[in-house]
Amino acid sequence: MDLVTGGGYAAMAACGLLALWAGIWALRDRAVILKQLIAGGVVLVLLLVQAVGAIIELAGGRELAEPPVFWGYVIVAVLLLPAAAVVAIAERTRWSSVTLVVIALAVLVMELRILQLWSMGQGAA
Amino acid sequence: MTDEPQGPADTRRPAFGAGRVLIVVYGVFAIAATARAGYQLIAKGGEAPLAYGLSAFSAVVYVVATVALAHNGRRLRVVGWVTVLFELVGVLTVGVLSLTHPEMFAADSVWSGFGQGYGYIPLVLPFLGLAWLWWSSPRRLSQVRS
Repeated sequence: MDLVTGGGYAAMAACGLLALWAGIWALRDRAVILKQLIAGGVVLVLLLVQAVGAIIELAGGRELAEPPVFWGYVIVAVLLLPAAAVVAIAERTRWSSVTLVVIALAVLVMELRILQLWSMGQGAA
Repeated sequence: MTDEPQGPADTRRPAFGAGRVLIVVYGVFAIAATARAGYQLIAKGGEAPLAYGLSAFSAVVYVVATVALAHNGRRLRVVGWVTVLFELVGVLTVGVLSLTHPEMFAADSVWSGFGQGYGYIPLVLPFLGLAWLWWSSPRRLSQVRS
């Protein structure tokens, strides 16, 4: 398992837990707290590790099925969690928690597509 | 006895509440649609200029709608109404056309089959956007309060 796949699974697991956590917060009528933003930062680090891993692998001669689509997903996934953080600061109601749930699930789904595209490249190589 | 502060004592911007979630979803969808349509138009625009051109144009409209909803100013609220209504008309028109005249939209556009390729999000978002614009209207809110 390379860094992209491993980092991807770790990021997906972390996203799922973060969505669950934020979901409980939304049900309890609470706004996003700093600890949740730190958890989001951990997910972001995993995404960046994955991106660096992809660059290393590609530099090592690995084929990628659709590079623009792959990097499009990676870049947008990296941008989503900071957007949730902005909302968490601006909106001190339960709706910041709902936003975090939506964003975490969106990153999770995008991560699925990233791993799909990554393994497609392996098949072609 | 409690003294309620009179006049505009609290200058903080009000919380958007549920509308903030809608704005974020709009933003995510706008970015996703722009990225996908931009890639389609550049990589294979020659294959289906109508479908991909329409997707790219609607993606830009989604971006403008997101900015308008998030800004929530007097003029940009008008822009919000226009862009969200445009999306509604677009998804309904192209949705019907793609069923009656499938040859016009051989390649997937963002609005084909009522946004089928995008999880029907393009069909749902305009209705939520219009509901939010109506609900958050300053005129309506001031009438409700008084």
